[in-house]
Parts: sequence; C-alpha cells; structure tokens
Amino acid sequence: MLNYAFKRLITTIPVVWIAITVCFFILRLAPGGPFDGERPLPEAVKRNLAAFYNLDKPLVEQYLIYVGNVLRGDLGPSFVTQDFTVAEQIAIGLPYTIIVGGLAFALAIIAGVLCGIFGALKRNQLPDFVLGGIILSGLVLPNFLLAPVFQLIFGLELNWLPVGGWGDGSIRYLILPVCVLALPHIARISRLMRGSMIEVLGTNFIRTARSKGLNDTPVVWRHALKPALTPVVSYLGPAAGYLLTGSLVVETIFGIPGIGRYFINAALNRDYGMVLGTVIFYMVLIIVLNLIVDVIYAWLDPRVRSQ
Amino acid sequence: MTQDRILEIRDLQVDFDTEDGQVHAVSGITCHIDAGECLGIVGESGSGKSQTFLAAMGLLSRNGTVSGAIEFRGQNLIGLGIPALNKIRGDKISMIFQDPLTSLTPHMRIGHQMREVLGAHRGMGDRQADQVCLDWLERVRIPEAARRLRQYPHELSGGMRQRVMIAMAMLCDPDLLIADEPTTALDVTIQAEILDIMDELRRERGTAIALITHDMGVVARMCDRVQVMRYGAYVEAGLTDDIFYNPQHDYTKKLLNAVPRIDPEASIERPIPKPLAAGSKGNFLKVDNVEVQFKIRKGFFARPDILRAVDQVSFDVNPGETLGIVGESGSGKSTLARAVLQLIPPTAGNVSWLGTSLNDLDQEEMKAKRSDLQIVFQDPLASLDPSMTVGASIMEPLKVFEKHLSKDQMRAKVQDMMERVGLDHTMINRYPHELSGGQNQRVGIARATIARPSLVICDEAVSALDVSIRAQILELLMGLQKEFDLSFIFISHDLSVVWEISHRILVLYLGTVVELTDSDSLFRNPQHPYTKQLISAVPLPDPRLERGRARIKLKGELSSPIDPRARMRFLPSKLHLASQGYVPKLEERMPGHFVAEHDPIEELLV
Repeated sequence: MLNYAFKRLITTIPVVWIAITVCFFILRLAPGGPFDGERPLPEAVKRNLAAFYNLDKPLVEQYLIYVGNVLRGDLGPSFVTQDFTVAEQIAIGLPYTIIVGGLAFALAIIAGVLCGIFGALKRNQLPDFVLGGIILSGLVLPNFLLAPVFQLIFGLELNWLPVGGWGDGSIRYLILPVCVLALPHIARISRLMRGSMIEVLGTNFIRTARSKGLNDTPVVWRHALKPALTPVVSYLGPAAGYLLTGSLVVETIFGIPGIGRYFINAALNRDYGMVLGTVIFYMVLIIVLNLIVDVIYAWLDPRVRSQ
Repeated sequence: MTQDRILEIRDLQVDFDTEDGQVHAVSGITCHIDAGECLGIVGESGSGKSQTFLAAMGLLSRNGTVSGAIEFRGQNLIGLGIPALNKIRGDKISMIFQDPLTSLTPHMRIGHQMREVLGAHRGMGDRQADQVCLDWLERVRIPEAARRLRQYPHELSGGMRQRVMIAMAMLCDPDLLIADEPTTALDVTIQAEILDIMDELRRERGTAIALITHDMGVVARMCDRVQVMRYGAYVEAGLTDDIFYNPQHDYTKKLLNAVPRIDPEASIERPIPKPLAAGSKGNFLKVDNVEVQFKIRKGFFARPDILRAVDQVSFDVNPGETLGIVGESGSGKSTLARAVLQLIPPTAGNVSWLGTSLNDLDQEEMKAKRSDLQIVFQDPLASLDPSMTVGASIMEPLKVFEKHLSKDQMRAKVQDMMERVGLDHTMINRYPHELSGGQNQRVGIARATIARPSLVICDEAVSALDVSIRAQILELLMGLQKEFDLSFIFISHDLSVVWEISHRILVLYLGTVVELTDSDSLFRNPQHPYTKQLISAVPLPDPRLERGRARIKLKGELSSPIDPRARMRFLPSKLHLASQGYVPKLEERMPGHFVAEHDPIEELLV
C-alpha cells in the first residue's frame, strides 16, 4: 500500500516538471509584460526592474534560475504586488479557498451520492425523471451564469442571503458560492452513481445477498455501496481539479478573497511569479488529492490492495 | 405423504418483457420436491431451468412476470411481499449459484457475509453467530476455518468459495437448498468434493436439494428424480434410473447420447479418430523442454516470485494426429498452447516445426509460418471482432496468406468453408452477436482452417457450449481432420471430451507432464495417481455404475504454481529437492506410455 503510494508519487515528478516548463514558456509567449503599463516607464527604471527580476537574462537562464528556486521551495517574488512574496500571497488567500472549495467538495459528494442512489432505486419512475431533469440543468449551466442568477434570486429578490463578500465568515456568506461551485459536480457524481448503482444491483453478489433474505437497507448500504462508489471515486481526482479552477471564477464573482482572485488579477497583469506560483501550488494540490483518491480506491476494493 | 412435501410448483409461467417483445422463459411447469430428496433439473442453456427457481426465490430480473403457483409448505410464494419473502429465503429456502467468485460480495470478509444471515433470521449477535459460522465452515471441510472468516473472497480458491457458499446457505438449516449449476465452474476433483458435501448434508440433515445442471453425470451421481427441460417446459420426468435406462422422449435420448463417457467398457458408440499412418513420425511438431515463467511482482522493492507456468514440457505431434492436453485450472495448458505458437515466447526450450526451430524466427518469418499453425479459442463470441461480419472474419487469413486471390475468389472460398463447417452461406454478412454460441464457434473453426493449416490448436474450444452443440462441433472437427489431414492439439479441462477426440493424451499438473500415452491406455490403465484421481472424479452418466464407484482421494489440494513444493505432491519422498526446482522425471513404463515418477499410491491416499 505504502509502496504503491510511493510509486505514484515518484511518477508525478516528471508531470510537475513538464507543467512548470510549459507554463513558464507560454506565459513569456503572451504579449506584454508585468511592467507594461499605460504610461511607459523611463528606460532606466525599466532596466533596473528587469535586472532585479532577472528579466534581462536569456530566457533559458531565467528558466533555470526559476526551477532552481522552486526546487529550494522558493516560489519567488510577485512582480506586481511588491510587498508580498508569492508564497505569502498564497498563504493569505488559501484559507478562504480551502473553506469554500472543501465545503463544495463535501456537498458534491454527499448530495451526488445520495441523489444517485435514489435515482437507481427509483429508476425509470417519475422521481428519477424529475431528479434527472434538475440535475441536467446543473450540468449545462456554466458557473459564471449560475452565480449571478443565484445572486439575483436569493440575494436581491428574496433577500435571504448576502450577494457576496466574506462578511464575518458566517455560513450565510458561504451558502451561495458553495452551492454554485458544487452544483455541476453534484450533477456529474449523481449520474455516475446512478449508473454504477444500477449495474451493481444487477450483479451476482447482490442476487446472493437478496437470496439470503436481507432487506433493501443492508443490501444497498452494506453490499452495493462500496463497489458502486468506485467510478465516483475515480472522478473525485479530476473533480477536485475542476473545483479548484471553478473556484477562480466563483471567488471573483462573489468577491471572496481567496487565491482565485489573486490568480486572475495576476494573469491579467502578467505577474509571472504569481501565476507560476499558483499553478505549481494547484498542481501539487491536485496531485495530492489524486493520491488520496487512489488510497481510497484500495480501501474500497480489497483486490487492489493485494495486487 | 403430503406433510413431507416441501415445494410444489404448479403451472408456472415466467415471461420477460424485452425490446424484441415478450419472451416466454418458462411455460407451464409443474413439479414438487419432498423432504430429503434430490431433484435434478436438466436442460441446456435457455431451457428456463434456472428461471423456474429464481422465480421461487423472488430473484427474477425486473422485467420478469410470474404466474401460476409456487407453494412452499402450502404457502404461495408468488405475489408475496418482499418482507414476507425475506423471512423465508435464506432461512427456509436457500440457494447457491454457479460462479462462486462473483456470487460473494468482493469487499466484505467471509465472516461478515455469513454472520448477517444469522443476524437477519435469528437475531444473533456477532460472537454467537461467529461460532455457528465456524461450525459450518468446518462441516464443509474448509481448512483453517477460523482464519477464513477474516479473509476476503478473492483470497480463497474456487472450490473453497463454493464451500463457503454452501456453508452460508446452510446456516439456518433450510428445508430446501437450491443449487444452480453449483460445480460447473469448478475442476472435476473439486466438483467431486462439493457433490460429496452436498450429498452428506442431504443424508445427515434431511435437506431437500433442487439441483439445476446440464451435466448428466452429476445427475446420475446425485439425484433421486429427474426432470428434463427444454424451451421452458418439461419433456420428461421420472426416477433417475428410468430416465437413464429407459428414456422415452427423443430429446432425453439425444441428451444422453451427446454425453461422452470415459468408461471404456461403455457400449455406446464412440467416434474413433482415424488411426495414424505408420511411419509418419518425425519432425512435424516437436516441443522440447519448453518452459514459460512469469515474474510476479509483490512490491516495489521485493524480489519477484517466479511462476513456472510451464516447466520442462516435451512432446511431439504427428501428421493427422490429435493430441489431447488435459489439466485443471492453473495447470498451464493455455500457456503451453500459446508458447507452442510463439504467442508467448518460451523462457527456455525449443519448439520446432517441420525441422525448423520457431524460437529463432523473426516476426516476418513467424508470420509466414502462421498460415500452417492456427488456434481456436474458448469463448467464440469474445474472440471474434464484434464490428466485423463473420464473412470478413473468416476471410482475414486469406487476405494475409493468399494475397494473390481476387476478392471474388476469396468470397467463394469463404462461402465454401462456411458450408463445410455447417453454416448457411447466406450468413456471410451477419455479425457475431446475431449468431448463437455454436454458430460462432463454427465461424472460429472456419477462420482457423480456411488457409489450410497443418496444425490447429483448440483451446477449450467446446467448453462454453451445450452438450448437444458440443457433440456436433467435435464431429465437425473430426470430419475436417479426415478431409484435410489436419493435426490437432486439443486442450480441455474436460476429460471425457478429450478422450473422445484424441489419439494420445497428455496430462498436465501445475505446468509439468504427469502422464502421456494413447487415449485408450490412459483410461484403461492409468498409471499416475493424479490421473487416477482425475478419472475417478468424473461422474459417469450411468446411475448404477456411479453409485458403486469408489473415488480416489489424494492428500493435499491443487495449490499455487508459485510454490515449488506443490509439484512434489505425488513425490513427497523427494520433497527436499523441491527448492532446487526439481521436476519429477518422466519414465517410459510401457512402449509409448510415459509416467512421471511418483511415490506408491497407497502413501498418497487420504
């Protein structure tokens, strides 16, 4: 088991390296730079800045310096927000992103799995169709549309919930962003869950369980749930990725001071250090989450463990 | 004796709503089972024999509808609500299924799966239930029962899993045990043990058994009464002896005649394979000390275990000859077949074809040889490309090996070949899923033989087929052999099939040759204890003979090919050599009759 996790960890190293490399060069390909404002800076200042950030060196050298720094755990300075290093800025935004993302993730799993099981048990009956329809709308509406619609309905019309901001950090400020972030994943997870649950309910071992005279409750929760979760779990890795990238947009719309907002600003300002730093951070996060998913996999299916 | 009547089925009908309209799976079945009796329900696939009893258990798939009456001790089970049904199934009636691996929940420990039966029906707590489970596991002769309770299904062997299923079904001491093809997926020696256990339960606890099977041998061994089923209805019912010795219905007769019997005394006609031309020996196919080893990685740093799937196997095949290879699962028979065709490169040893060693050929040269060497696989549907018409599948070898033919010539040849293997040539544009299993296997055979190979390897080619279809395919193979002077290597776990078609037979045990001789001597005069055990384990479709037959039981059971000690099972006196990779040596006891060295059988018996 540890062996397996270790092996998976090692194979991610080249992935991280390739991603850093690609990001580094693509950013430089994009027109403009961090110091191209509306009013051009004096030539001497520009030269000084370039020298400070190593921008005057050949690109390959800059790249090597950057990778060297990352290896030492230093994500470097922000090019725009001079007072903070990239690492500091991520640390400031992180708690907000984690709270919103984590809650959305949990909501997506719980609601998705429950809806999926419900749909499977009532398959091809009215409740299944109704639920399916609602879920489909969650799937097709993008979050940048859903968010303002929710803001309009629940915030402005009904006046139940605040439209945005972090406020005092209470649950009222979290409900809308978390729901918007979670909805498409509830939809996907419940579809996956419904399908795999139907499949599992048709297997031989469920037939055996029923032949033993067990009621629906133990049959579904004890015998069918774990194997039916397998496809859902394998979706959780990518889902975590979607959630994080989705949070970039949602955080901006709801005015939550998480990493996402910094990231979008940084990208617009060509803040090379900040963008790369955030990318690396997200990447490591996604890799770790995927690793956790693999471990859960082994827990679900004892056969994976002994392979 | 109505008080002894356990189950009574009257005018049962089972229909399924499918996209192609209604399918009548069972139409008007009437039967009964009394306490302590074993009723055999025999039929080929699709005869509705399983559906009858799944209906009784309320386990039909959702599109099924039932009418008629299924009375358990006077209570009609049809229309009973799930809660009421759950009081009966698992408690008064229990069921075991064909495939014990998929029939156990993979992620739950054996103990947990067994306990919940007692929890549901007896309200027993875990500790008390564990004791009962342990008792039953020991009763079905599972070694180290206490440890098994904590294991997962995949950690047990196939025979062990089926024993767990039986123990689980017996926990509440049911009145009726429904066994749906309980031994079909198991090796013969394991089958014999499972049948013994079931027979014991019936005698000791008075449990009635409904045994659903396609195997006439199993029926002869186990059942008091038999019902023969076809197309959802009974064609004949009666006492076992009457059915076997005085069958009335044509279908019953056909079924009985289709079963190959391995007792050489049997008077039934056996299609004799063509005798070999004298002096045809030589360098046709020669397999010399072939070994295939696989590395089993256990962990990132651990040293890999070596699985010796095939170990120092030598034999030759003569022109026009059929060499049968029998062995139980894990004996390496399929690996050997693939090694001969170089589909898996042998780790050591040499395969030569017409004097040329196949090992040294490069890919192009090997491809040229393949027109001579073909293979037919077990699962006919899975081994044909589902997106190709059967005509295109059959034509493929021509496109590779006889490129000079025009499209029309190829088509004509394909149609010719289809007629030859008993397929209507108008089927040329059909797809595999539109054909039956038997028809698909004919396609497989046509594909393998169309380029006129000299040697065809049949790897469990008839194992997935019903008995009557199987008999037809065997006949077809023998016909093709006569016509084209083909050689076959015929691989199967089924001794009776191998016996029927082969000139010579090679018995494999854990990758090593145990015995090699012509098929008559193998069955008349088996030498090796393992061969004797195998032959005695095959149930004969003859109740009187079967009842009086003594079974040979040897110590130990088929174990892992990774363990070097396992192959010394019949030579315990040289066990100390096992770690050096010693393989029991073959000796020629009689001309042409090779036997691996073994200790006297008296010392090996249980």
